[in-house]
Amino acid sequence: MGNCFSDMEGGKQAVGGAQQRPTIASDNNNNNGGHNDAVDFFYKSHGLHPLFTQMELSLSASKLLDRDITSKSDPMVVVYAKKIDGKLEELGRTEVVLNSLNPAWIEKVTVAFQFEIVQPLVFHVYDVDTKYHNVPVKTLKLKDQEFLGEATCVLSEDPFLRISRIVESGGSVPICKTEVVNNNLNPIWKPLCLSVQQFGSKDNPLIIECFDFNSSGNHVLIGKLQKSVADLEKLHKDRSGANLTFPSSHQGHEKVLKGQLFVDQFCEKQQYSFLDYISSGFELNFMVAVDFTASNGNPRSPDSLHYIDPSGRMNSYQRAMMEVGEVIQFYDSDRRFPAWGFGGRTGDGTISHCFNMNGSAGAFEVEGVEGIMSAYANALHNVALAGPTLFGQVINTAAEIAGQSISYNRNKYFVLLIITDGVLTDLQETKDALVRASDLPLSILIVGVGGADFSQMEVLDADNGRRLESSTGRVATRDIVQFVPMREVHSGQISVVQALLEELPGQFLTYMRSRDIKPHPLHVAPTSA
Amino acid sequence: MESMSRTVEITVISGEDLRNNRKPIKKNAFVVIRTDSQNSCKTDMDTEGGSYPAWKQKLVVDIPMHAQFITLEVQCKTSMGDKTVGTARIPVSDFVGGYIPDNYLHFLSYRLRDYSGERNGIVNISARVKVPEYASCSRTEVGVPFGVGVPLGVGVPLGGRNFGGIVTGIPVLSNYPRNY
Repeated sequence: MGNCFSDMEGGKQAVGGAQQRPTIASDNNNNNGGHNDAVDFFYKSHGLHPLFTQMELSLSASKLLDRDITSKSDPMVVVYAKKIDGKLEELGRTEVVLNSLNPAWIEKVTVAFQFEIVQPLVFHVYDVDTKYHNVPVKTLKLKDQEFLGEATCVLSEDPFLRISRIVESGGSVPICKTEVVNNNLNPIWKPLCLSVQQFGSKDNPLIIECFDFNSSGNHVLIGKLQKSVADLEKLHKDRSGANLTFPSSHQGHEKVLKGQLFVDQFCEKQQYSFLDYISSGFELNFMVAVDFTASNGNPRSPDSLHYIDPSGRMNSYQRAMMEVGEVIQFYDSDRRFPAWGFGGRTGDGTISHCFNMNGSAGAFEVEGVEGIMSAYANALHNVALAGPTLFGQVINTAAEIAGQSISYNRNKYFVLLIITDGVLTDLQETKDALVRASDLPLSILIVGVGGADFSQMEVLDADNGRRLESSTGRVATRDIVQFVPMREVHSGQISVVQALLEELPGQFLTYMRSRDIKPHPLHVAPTSA
Repeated sequence: MESMSRTVEITVISGEDLRNNRKPIKKNAFVVIRTDSQNSCKTDMDTEGGSYPAWKQKLVVDIPMHAQFITLEVQCKTSMGDKTVGTARIPVSDFVGGYIPDNYLHFLSYRLRDYSGERNGIVNISARVKVPEYASCSRTEVGVPFGVGVPLGVGVPLGGRNFGGIVTGIPVLSNYPRNY
């Protein structure tokens, strides 16, 4: 069977479109691995225009090996970028096509095409085990359909729709399909979301095909029609139907069927991007927390991550703060950061898991990257490294600040930056704090310094699709954690901007869209295209 | 009595990976919310969603002031009657009190447990406390768009950002491609 994956709902689910799932934690399959407009904005505003363009890959295959015993293969494709060190980074993956040796996948993979750079791509095709064994009672043959003519739709059982865009070469590329409605002659499918990027223009003709689902993969065409998005909108307003057609045995002619397509709902909605929010006055507020536990090593020892070099060269934490600070202060509106340390023994002899790095008892904010660096130097000379490593308290403190801000300013989104060597003691308490914080306008960036085992950080990142769960059974509403190991940044694989902002815009948008919070209108009235 | 309970709008959004004796349920899932042993309300049945049902239904629930938990049950209708698929015990403190404003729209998710205590799927809801009329007039509703002329919160405009004393204007690229 090759590499096996679970096929959710046996291939009957809807695919493609611009699906928004605000309450489900994002997984690796965002299929937009090459693009991040927040990173573009950073570079472009610094006068560096990106030398790349977005490419959308449509994938199909033919003559695949038949690896299943009782049925054909169930293929899917995973697209990787091959890095300098030979490692593969997943850029996206398709849906599973049931029982097909010649699949045409609907899901698209977006790649950032960079000029003058060799970008090796690796495509892996997998046969996926199907969990679906329900076979429609009757398999219609083409001859029978021709004989039955207008009565064809009466015999359909498990219909679904597929929408395709006509391309310049004359063929068509599928852009989405509905879920399968079981045993229904008058199906009502769930809503599909399409973006202008997918259909090109409201007047572009789309091919809409209605199939009878067959687990063997040979879906029987019930009927089809050609309509543009503007046509569908008109159908909705007029509350009229459009007849499906079926290609007849005579060349060039099409038989008009009795079956009809209706548009029950048509809703045009403007989807705002991360930059729309930032441009209209929404603010990112960053907070910094630094690990002062003994696992970092004695600051007087050269192999310590907190080493105080007499020559003035920066240690691992200082380099991380300097590089990360340049990015975060660009997005922060007032450039004032709460700066905490955790895991150190403060002047009064107690171990604190959330102390102000500037040594002040009241004010915890510092100004700019320089403020962070001087507060850090101050703490290093006044705090003894101790332990254990607890994230829970700094996360709860940040969550309280984010929660209180909701009362007086809905424009703020908070980002807590934790710089640590990654050896964590309170994994469950950290999970509990993160689950509670997932309901708030807050994200957590964990920057890992040094070469320790970061497996606990990967658990918190939750990119494997497993949602974080608290000890009481509450589950994280959305993924708010991103882990950035600095050794990957320093090895040149990715830039610090890309690493830090990889997930943050998506986390921000998930929060805003689920609560229907919109950017403020600019002076020019936005055109609702 | 008004002061003896609070009204909460709970939208039951969806369920994930619901099973009955380890097999994914096929259809007819619905949700029952209990505030105490006598009072409960329930959603419509999702006849097509299978083990990933979507209800998106708002229920208005009165919760006694002294209540610390409410119970959410996912049930499914079978030929032998209604069967409880999983139960979640929801602390009232998850959406009431604390440092978050009262009328905040909470999005919450919970692990369901079956009759023997085994983990069984996830339920996603949103919850908002209905603030009495006299109090809601004095505060801004979450998610209600402001008019153009209404003064917004204190914030430094993006174009007027101050870098070390020098005011730097950052051009806003109005034609920047939108890929979301």
